[in-house]
Amino acid sequence: MSKAILQIENLSLSYNGFMAVNKVTLNVAHKTIHSVIGPNGAGKTSLFHCLTGVRRPTSGRVLFDGKEITHQPAHRRTCTGLARSFQITSLFQNLSVQENLRLASQGRDGDRALVFWRSIAGRREHMEMADSIMERLGLTQKANIAAGDLSHGQQRILEVGMALCGKPKLLLLDEPTAGMGVEDIPVMTRLIADLGKDYSIMLIEHNMGIVMSISDTITVMSQGEILVEGTPAAVRTDERVREAYLGEAA
Amino acid sequence: MAGPFVLPGGSNLAVAATLVLLPLILPSPTLATEILIFAMAALACNLLLGYGGLLSFGQGMFFGAGAYLAAIAMIHAKVGLLVALLTALCSGALIAALVGALAIRRTGIYFVMLTLAFNQTAYFIAYTLDGWTGGDNGLLDVPRPPLALFGHIFSDLGSPTAYYVFVAVVFLIIFMASGRIIASPFGSTLIAIRENEARADAVGYNTRHFKIVAFAISGAITSLSGALYAMLLNFAPLENIQMSESILIMTVIGGAGSLLGSLLGAGSWVIISDILADIWPRWQILMGGALILVVLFLRGGIWGGIESLLKRCLNKKER
Repeated sequence: MSKAILQIENLSLSYNGFMAVNKVTLNVAHKTIHSVIGPNGAGKTSLFHCLTGVRRPTSGRVLFDGKEITHQPAHRRTCTGLARSFQITSLFQNLSVQENLRLASQGRDGDRALVFWRSIAGRREHMEMADSIMERLGLTQKANIAAGDLSHGQQRILEVGMALCGKPKLLLLDEPTAGMGVEDIPVMTRLIADLGKDYSIMLIEHNMGIVMSISDTITVMSQGEILVEGTPAAVRTDERVREAYLGEAA
Repeated sequence: MAGPFVLPGGSNLAVAATLVLLPLILPSPTLATEILIFAMAALACNLLLGYGGLLSFGQGMFFGAGAYLAAIAMIHAKVGLLVALLTALCSGALIAALVGALAIRRTGIYFVMLTLAFNQTAYFIAYTLDGWTGGDNGLLDVPRPPLALFGHIFSDLGSPTAYYVFVAVVFLIIFMASGRIIASPFGSTLIAIRENEARADAVGYNTRHFKIVAFAISGAITSLSGALYAMLLNFAPLENIQMSESILIMTVIGGAGSLLGSLLGAGSWVIISDILADIWPRWQILMGGALILVVLFLRGGIWGGIESLLKRCLNKKER
């Protein structure tokens, strides 16, 4: 059995003494969809922030692909193969769908993108990447439309596409269905399931229904700690999970 | 909104045509030269404001530094024209990179305030070092050396027309280079940072590095225009450093985010001020009014207005 792509060891994050994340240990295996769920305030997003480099954990370690990344700045994680999507849609609103994806692909160049004397056309692979991702997401028809003019559901899908452009080894998806209409949710769910064949995915989700059908492993968090971890079937029947969600009257 | 860069070849041709026509239409080549010098400064400001979303009140400092340093190099080190301009270009890039690196540590209004604070500091430094800068009186007797390369003199640039031609060539080079910069990986990333910095950071860009390079390029071009201005006037006034507002207003009136707009903005500013200054000494009140109108009703500036007019005409034809 190969080593986990992402290893989280005893990770804690406290805000002025309040333990948002409390000694969380968690492994994401290669080419699996690993979901982290939990009621509001369970610490999902705080955990996510530690993984993306937005927040510095108070203690503990994060190992990605065997290398420690606990204190690596956010922009450098992208080129090591860790890509993220945002819970609140974060796109280049006035730029076209194609340009959004091309920029996301070019992001892998890091400071090499500082060349100001060459034309964009010189880096053909970024345009090709953008085209292939549009194909996969079914957005090819919308290539020249400004991202801000897409429907909300399509913007959420483009949001995931932005992460894919970084050729990630691990995709971190933060509530990809947030704010989506009922009819759009199955489209996104299918897309994530499809991506799970090619990528390792860690999915943060509030809605339990969505993750049950597509996850390989589910970790349930509550009050900053891990409550239960297991297969969807095991989690579904677990008494403690039911309590945590019922406590929130969900 | 379409791509960041429409008709690259077309706008270069339009500018080249304008450069030929300008001295023919205007009453004097000196006025035309002044327009191009300020258009260069506005262009540089536009790279920061229109493409990088960085509102800098430090442009006057770069402009003044270029004027002083080129003049000092010519007066004390007796360097020629091209070396003096190169001195301005390089030192402008260096100063702007330093100021930028410190100012971008803050964002929003604090960033703007920092650029303003640096500009004010520069003003008082120039005021204090009157042995070098002439202080309040400005630096007098700035030479305009002949255009020479490896001992061969191409032109003495003595006549206003000869100097105009020289500045026009420099302007065309800067304009075309700016077009290339915007269409480069760097330029496209700068636009991305303006659009959404958090996202740009998340896809892998170190946004600080991009902003510092943007400052360096902008400072280099602004200093170059300041040096050309000192050679035009044979004088480097202390007021150069307080040009920040004027440069910003030209950029916004012409159209932030459009290189042609910078030429239009500088052109209308210089021409209107030339006409109005004779009639009414408080003409700047009118320019203030024009700025208010543009910000309220014409967000794309003069160029944005022309663009939407053209689009409307084209649409009518199609019907």
